Amino acid sequence: MKDSVAQPRKHRSVARRKLFNNSFSVICLLVSSLAIVVLATLLVAIFSTGGNWLSFEMLAGSHRENNPEESGIGQAILGSLVICSICGLVALPIGVGTAIFLEEFKPKGRLLRIFHGLVQLNINNLAGVPSIVYGILGLTAFVYMFGAFSPIRVNDQPDHEIGATYFYQTKTLGGQYVRFPAVPLIQPVIKIKQGRNASKINGDKFKLNVVSASTEKSKYANQVNETVLLGTEAKLSSRNGNQVYEAKTIGGDSFDFPAEATYSQFAKIIEPITVSNSDGDTFSLNVLSKSEPIPTDPTILAQSVFADSPDPNKRSSASIFRENSLFHLHLPFSKSVLSAALTLALVILPIVIIASQEAIRGVPQTLREAAFGMGATRWQVVRSAVLPSATPGIMTGAILAMSRAIGEAAPLLAVMGGVLGTTNHLSSLMDKTPVLPVTIFKWAGDENQGFEHLAAAAIIVLLAFLLLMNSLAIFIRYRYEKKLS
Amino acid sequence: MSNTSAGQGELLGDAVSPRGKLRPRSSAASKRWQTVVVTGLVFCALVSVFTTIGIILMLVVESWGFFSDDKIEIWKFLTGTKWTVGQTQGELSYGIWPLLSGTLRITGIAMMLALPMGLVSAIYLSEYASKRTRSLLKPTLEILAGIPTVVLGFFAVKFITPYMLEPLGDFKTFNATSAGIAVGILCIPLVASLAEDALRAVPNRLREGAYGLGANRLEVTLKVVVPAALSGIISAFLLALARAIGETMVVALAAGSTPTLTLDPRMPSQTMTGFIVETFKSESVVPGTLSYFSIYAVAAVLFLSTFGITLVGQIIRMKYREVYD
Repeated sequence: MKDSVAQPRKHRSVARRKLFNNSFSVICLLVSSLAIVVLATLLVAIFSTGGNWLSFEMLAGSHRENNPEESGIGQAILGSLVICSICGLVALPIGVGTAIFLEEFKPKGRLLRIFHGLVQLNINNLAGVPSIVYGILGLTAFVYMFGAFSPIRVNDQPDHEIGATYFYQTKTLGGQYVRFPAVPLIQPVIKIKQGRNASKINGDKFKLNVVSASTEKSKYANQVNETVLLGTEAKLSSRNGNQVYEAKTIGGDSFDFPAEATYSQFAKIIEPITVSNSDGDTFSLNVLSKSEPIPTDPTILAQSVFADSPDPNKRSSASIFRENSLFHLHLPFSKSVLSAALTLALVILPIVIIASQEAIRGVPQTLREAAFGMGATRWQVVRSAVLPSATPGIMTGAILAMSRAIGEAAPLLAVMGGVLGTTNHLSSLMDKTPVLPVTIFKWAGDENQGFEHLAAAAIIVLLAFLLLMNSLAIFIRYRYEKKLS
Repeated sequence: MSNTSAGQGELLGDAVSPRGKLRPRSSAASKRWQTVVVTGLVFCALVSVFTTIGIILMLVVESWGFFSDDKIEIWKFLTGTKWTVGQTQGELSYGIWPLLSGTLRITGIAMMLALPMGLVSAIYLSEYASKRTRSLLKPTLEILAGIPTVVLGFFAVKFITPYMLEPLGDFKTFNATSAGIAVGILCIPLVASLAEDALRAVPNRLREGAYGLGANRLEVTLKVVVPAALSGIISAFLLALARAIGETMVVALAAGSTPTLTLDPRMPSQTMTGFIVETFKSESVVPGTLSYFSIYAVAAVLFLSTFGITLVGQIIRMKYREVYD
């Protein structure tokens, strides 16, 4: 060992060195071309699996259980586009703003400089956070909002809501559906569906826990007197002159909470009311007693219901429906398009910031100096000199970030669950929707072999979108490079 | 330059930019407007700060929900060798090691593929490739980097496993190797592009000096350029490692949903991310249940490992960067 240090290194012959050099360059070329082989194999595998399944019906259709031949990705494409657009609208301004702050407004104060450095370090770290962690953040922050509001279960009316109209709908004897507006009332009996603030008989306030039978009750084993089973009935009564609902906890203690007007699930029709049908015609509903003979005229039948009937098919109670406006919002956001878009915005935010920073850094310093020399304030310099020349670079980065967003499956799976198809159309930000990557994921894991081909066809569509976006980015980059030279 | 005195400002406040897009404004108004804008920009920057705070806060609070459950002991979580959370029958075991080892196995396979291939590609791109090969290779790597991970997962389970692995031996339908290969494929472009940046940052003076001493291209590359760029290469490796640990859709599709503690690469191997996705996929997550809280406990381990690795990578890049200017 000692010798080898002391003695000069053995000289390799020139021929050997040349051989090493040449063989290494061949190895390099082979290894690097493997990337091309992999890409080619992947594309061939996907096109041969899914190419034949691409059709207009498939592009327009929606998921059908166990029926790959008639399933399609229309809803998923729309869902992906809507979510990505909202995500871009949120992430781009914030991302570019952060980049401008980091690049152009470097503070002089010591404390601010530390803040500045921390933000920069933080962004580089955020770029390395797995997207599934963002998904969990989205679930906690947007879907459940850290538990600050009671969670919304299926068919529940959220506590905090705008942009929704409730109406009751029923079927007339003629088979037509008619509807009339719903009015919230204080119901005599309600079922407890969500945790809320309540007070005990002695007036102590406490937070009521709700457990479903499937939820492990042991979670609140030491709080039996502050916990009820999901669906426990509460009856209307009054305390100190206020209307309250009263119920018993698992432990048997009574408690109450203030009564609020709610929509009941069903409304009984006992007297004639004004209703409208699907054509928008309004008329007064005939209410027939069971003792009367049933009229035979179809126009009368279409406008009549039985007052009450033991036969469930003829019963005239109307059930509640909700119509959402485009701006329907409720808190928490629940599993919805908005939650998904905001989550994706967090995922791509670091990418947008880093790309914009690079674009801004690429603006020649002379441009800034010229603007400063003309007396512009720092913001004026940014707005009129830096941003215009950085815009193509920012756009390129933004498009690449969006192409990352459109292919992300994990955060959407966390925030919206594995939705494959919805019965109603996407009508508001609070709806759920299938999206392309999640659809591919679910189909790839489906036991029905046909869905494998369909997943490959959906991948082709997804890749086509990516190709489109990347071409746009390359086009912008190309024009930009020409312009500066 | 920013602290232009008021007098100058009055004269030049209405200055027209090189592109002539400024509205005329008094100097005071410009300054006030600037304050408003800067405040807005600070709020933009705060979004990412709050994202980090939100992630950490959420993981701490909700993992606490997991560990405060009477049935859970933190020691058993960190050392246990069996994971049955989310399974309906059988005894409840919640040792993280099957999931952690699944992640490590797949990451290991991926790194064995991605590190050498990525580095060699980077060396080739930066030191050897002619302009023409470069103009072919570079876009290929970029396209490969842009392929959604769910597509690579599909490729792994529908192509790598049946056509490449099953002829080789007794591979299960879902196995660690095929997921590892796919994760490796998606890490290659990452390693290649980051390492290439590091290699290209080495100034040509160094190469010319070595050539002047009679070294050939291989010797210049391996003895001068690579050592000079080592900090950048290591940080590229670490970033790829973090990416592989956090990779979700590939493992969810190709690695199976059975948590195993084995070294056999032919066996299924659920990872931490795989468990999280499996739980979300079943849509049985009800807030307040044990399987809901377990997501956060697993995510906390996942976040700590990736965050730690990314941070170390950044520190290495900043601290040990050779500066030549």
